[in-house]
Amino acid sequence: MKIIYSQLKKFLPDLHSDYKKLRDDLTMIGHFTNFFEEIDNEIVFDLDIKVNRGDCLGYYGLARDLSVFYNTKLISPFYQREMSEGQRDLDIKVTTDNVKRVMATKISDLKNNNSPQWLQTFLKCHNTNSINTIVDLTNYIMFLYGIPNHAFDTTKSGENLIWEMNSKFKEFTSLDGSKLNINNDILMINSPDKALSLSFWGGESCAINLDTTETIIEVAVYDRGTVRQNSRQLKSVTEASVRLEKDLDPELVPQAFNHLVNLILENCGGQISSQIFDYYPNKLKIPQIEFDPNKASLVSGIEIPNDFSLDCLTRLGSTIYNLKSKISVTPPSIRKDISIEADLIEEVVRFWGYQKIPTDQPLSFKKTTDITPKEIYLIESLKDQLTKFAYDEILSWPLVTTPTNEKTVITTENSINSEAIYLRQSLIPSLKQQLDQYERFKLPPTQFFEIAKIFYKEGDNFIEKNALGIYNYDSKQLIDDLQKLNLPNNIIDNNFAEIIIDDLPKPDKYIPENKNNNATELTSQIITLDANIILDSKEDPIELIEKYSQVIGPEILWKLIITDIYQDKKINKYRYTFQASYFNTDDKTAKKIHLQAFELE
Amino acid sequence: MDQKLEAIKSQYQTKIAEIKTDKELESLRIELFGRNGLINDLFSKIKEIPNENKKQYGADLNQLKTELEQSLLSQNVSKTEISKLEIRNSFFSLPKVGHLHPITQTERQLNEVFRKLGFSIYNSPEIVTDEFNFTRLNVPKNHPARDMQDSIYIKEPEYLLRTQTSAIEAYLLAQKNKDLPIRTAFPGSVFRNEKVNRSNHFIFHQYQAVVVDKNITIKDLVGTMDLMFKTLYGPDVIVRYRSKYYPEVAPGVGPDMQCFNCQGKGCPLCKYAGWIEMGGSGMIHPKVLEMAGIDPKVWSGFAFGMGLDRWTMAQKNIKDIRTLMGGNLAYKTNEL
Repeated sequence: MKIIYSQLKKFLPDLHSDYKKLRDDLTMIGHFTNFFEEIDNEIVFDLDIKVNRGDCLGYYGLARDLSVFYNTKLISPFYQREMSEGQRDLDIKVTTDNVKRVMATKISDLKNNNSPQWLQTFLKCHNTNSINTIVDLTNYIMFLYGIPNHAFDTTKSGENLIWEMNSKFKEFTSLDGSKLNINNDILMINSPDKALSLSFWGGESCAINLDTTETIIEVAVYDRGTVRQNSRQLKSVTEASVRLEKDLDPELVPQAFNHLVNLILENCGGQISSQIFDYYPNKLKIPQIEFDPNKASLVSGIEIPNDFSLDCLTRLGSTIYNLKSKISVTPPSIRKDISIEADLIEEVVRFWGYQKIPTDQPLSFKKTTDITPKEIYLIESLKDQLTKFAYDEILSWPLVTTPTNEKTVITTENSINSEAIYLRQSLIPSLKQQLDQYERFKLPPTQFFEIAKIFYKEGDNFIEKNALGIYNYDSKQLIDDLQKLNLPNNIIDNNFAEIIIDDLPKPDKYIPENKNNNATELTSQIITLDANIILDSKEDPIELIEKYSQVIGPEILWKLIITDIYQDKKINKYRYTFQASYFNTDDKTAKKIHLQAFELE
Repeated sequence: MDQKLEAIKSQYQTKIAEIKTDKELESLRIELFGRNGLINDLFSKIKEIPNENKKQYGADLNQLKTELEQSLLSQNVSKTEISKLEIRNSFFSLPKVGHLHPITQTERQLNEVFRKLGFSIYNSPEIVTDEFNFTRLNVPKNHPARDMQDSIYIKEPEYLLRTQTSAIEAYLLAQKNKDLPIRTAFPGSVFRNEKVNRSNHFIFHQYQAVVVDKNITIKDLVGTMDLMFKTLYGPDVIVRYRSKYYPEVAPGVGPDMQCFNCQGKGCPLCKYAGWIEMGGSGMIHPKVLEMAGIDPKVWSGFAFGMGLDRWTMAQKNIKDIRTLMGGNLAYKTNEL
């Protein structure tokens, strides 16, 4: 959403923050501000408004937030001028529960024209084209209050307007000429014989133009779910639909309506020629929320004075009641997002400032029940083993183009990637695809694996299992590696194997023992000794370290490393130089254990 | 296979079959696979093949190479001799090692941090019901927050591929509501209905942590999250925490990292904001706890999550997100 700095200042005359600070402050209180730019000598901010803050899709709601944050005066732009109504009732009907509130009136003897420069500039800053004064003012009011509205040319629409769920019309043509197929689920404003407007998009059949001399103006709030559904169904998003699918405040409708009517009269002349129609069947129920001011400190973890909490909520427009030592808070009607105590706490903390909460105090270690599923340990262990055997890990697409088994394949219903709509039933096709890719790049012979989910249908149930897919250019080596890992020999096409991990036994040995038991009391100096061992063949250094670590035992071994590997080409033997460090023992015992362990005696 | 290549194959398989010593084996290996060997020579001549035959010729040549390699290795000389050959071949370079995928490496880094704080690692199904992906996370039907995530449905509207790791949180809270307190972290794949291109994918990787205990505070949340960021980005990283909306938390907290490209001055990477959004977090919403059968008057908790793909791409200098998943990702061999 775009916000013009000079317009914001009309609500907040004491606002003196420079642009950069305002941008950062808006972001810190929850309205992420991407950037600001200059358009026609106006500074314009670009904000992401949170989906629960429909009130901030207008200047008024946003200014209310800033007035609390800066503790500065908010000027209400509401027109207090009485409107002199005409005598005639408007022939308006509302036949659906999806209308929460609608206000309307007819204005006659208008002289429509091109918009004044200030209005054109305002709309330009909001990326909206200027059409004519009446239309532009309806958009202006929408941006100001966040409440969409509409003007009908009554010479085209007639005065007999009906808010209804569509039952008569098959097609609707919008203001921009788009033709939409409509059905019975669409909330519309119609005349008895014409489809006039969607709830969120005006129609071509009653569009205002420069010749318009009389209009019916309406400002309305609808059931947001219906608008959202209609907008999605018709694949049409407008500035109005974005707002109407939020929880808007029906109590704000009179102010927006009053402001719009008066601006039209000021700019286009004319007079109100009907009574004001106000349909508001179910008055808004505002919750009364029990609130403990101490909770702001308890939840944030820092001291926030109770006085600040209550003052902040009052400035926000809440009413605070003290009832028998309990405090209850009624939030302002515009803040439809506040309904429980946690919401009030959030308001207090956000205005106190998250930046005041220290970031250098993480949770400390606490022993809780280990609820890690055993297959996670098994998968971690398999990945470690496979990389030790020089396999590389790959990840591939879980959605594939071709099913392995058409009878059990699970198909996605709406994937926009039309080439990949099936959930994979095996990892092997993905591994083959990866191999093709590697061959295209002329990678030397390789070996790789993937551990991921495979999916299939069993009756009406969707099944997913963890699987290991593995490839080795050397098929004999693959068999050998599977054997070493105690994995079943499920070889496919010589060089591939697939194993369903969830079907493997999950021995407890994969679960690391007491992960936080490394602390040791030292009672003597560490003793470090070297050992050379000669081997006939080249061995995996990690396996050697594991082997000798076990021989020496953890009670006495502090550290064991291999510092050198040397091949004696003359005798074709390998010399491994170990460095072992012993603890909590004396020189003599350490030496004895060392010689025995490495068979040097 | 191309006739000429077929003839070469036949000729060399005969030669291989006649090998008696490892010296002969090595000599033939060099003749075939050495830098100036026959196979490289054949590959270098591929440019002389007419365009329409190039693809088939390349495939045939690869097949010839693989078959001759396998014939060499399976030649009936003693196992000791083969083993010596392999050792000698590899002796001139460092031993080959395997690699975990960069996403797994990042997940491991984070798992280690959280395990040290007493966290378990958790997971749950990737096909989820609407209830666990949305409703139990305080996103009822027709709530505009559902627009934040375009879902891939298996059976609309009931079954879908999870769109966020918070779905794992919903399972966790439902299944372990009697095992409180809990500390868990979970890496997981999530799915969004996006077209796959250089910068978008339908599958992402997220990392989330959830704590439910007594007297948990926002201070615990931002302190723990900060530890996570320092683990990934180093001790000098600057992160700010601000108000942010997610339906499953209240209050919601958004971490932003100072842009590493411009040090907060503003640049195209951070859209001139000086900060980069790093994920979302907050105190678990009382309604979420209630729906899981946990009394929010007794228990409180926090949850935070972040995406791993962008970070991993930046760390490995990967420009195309498709590389991470079955693309052009390969690992240098012979490194230690």
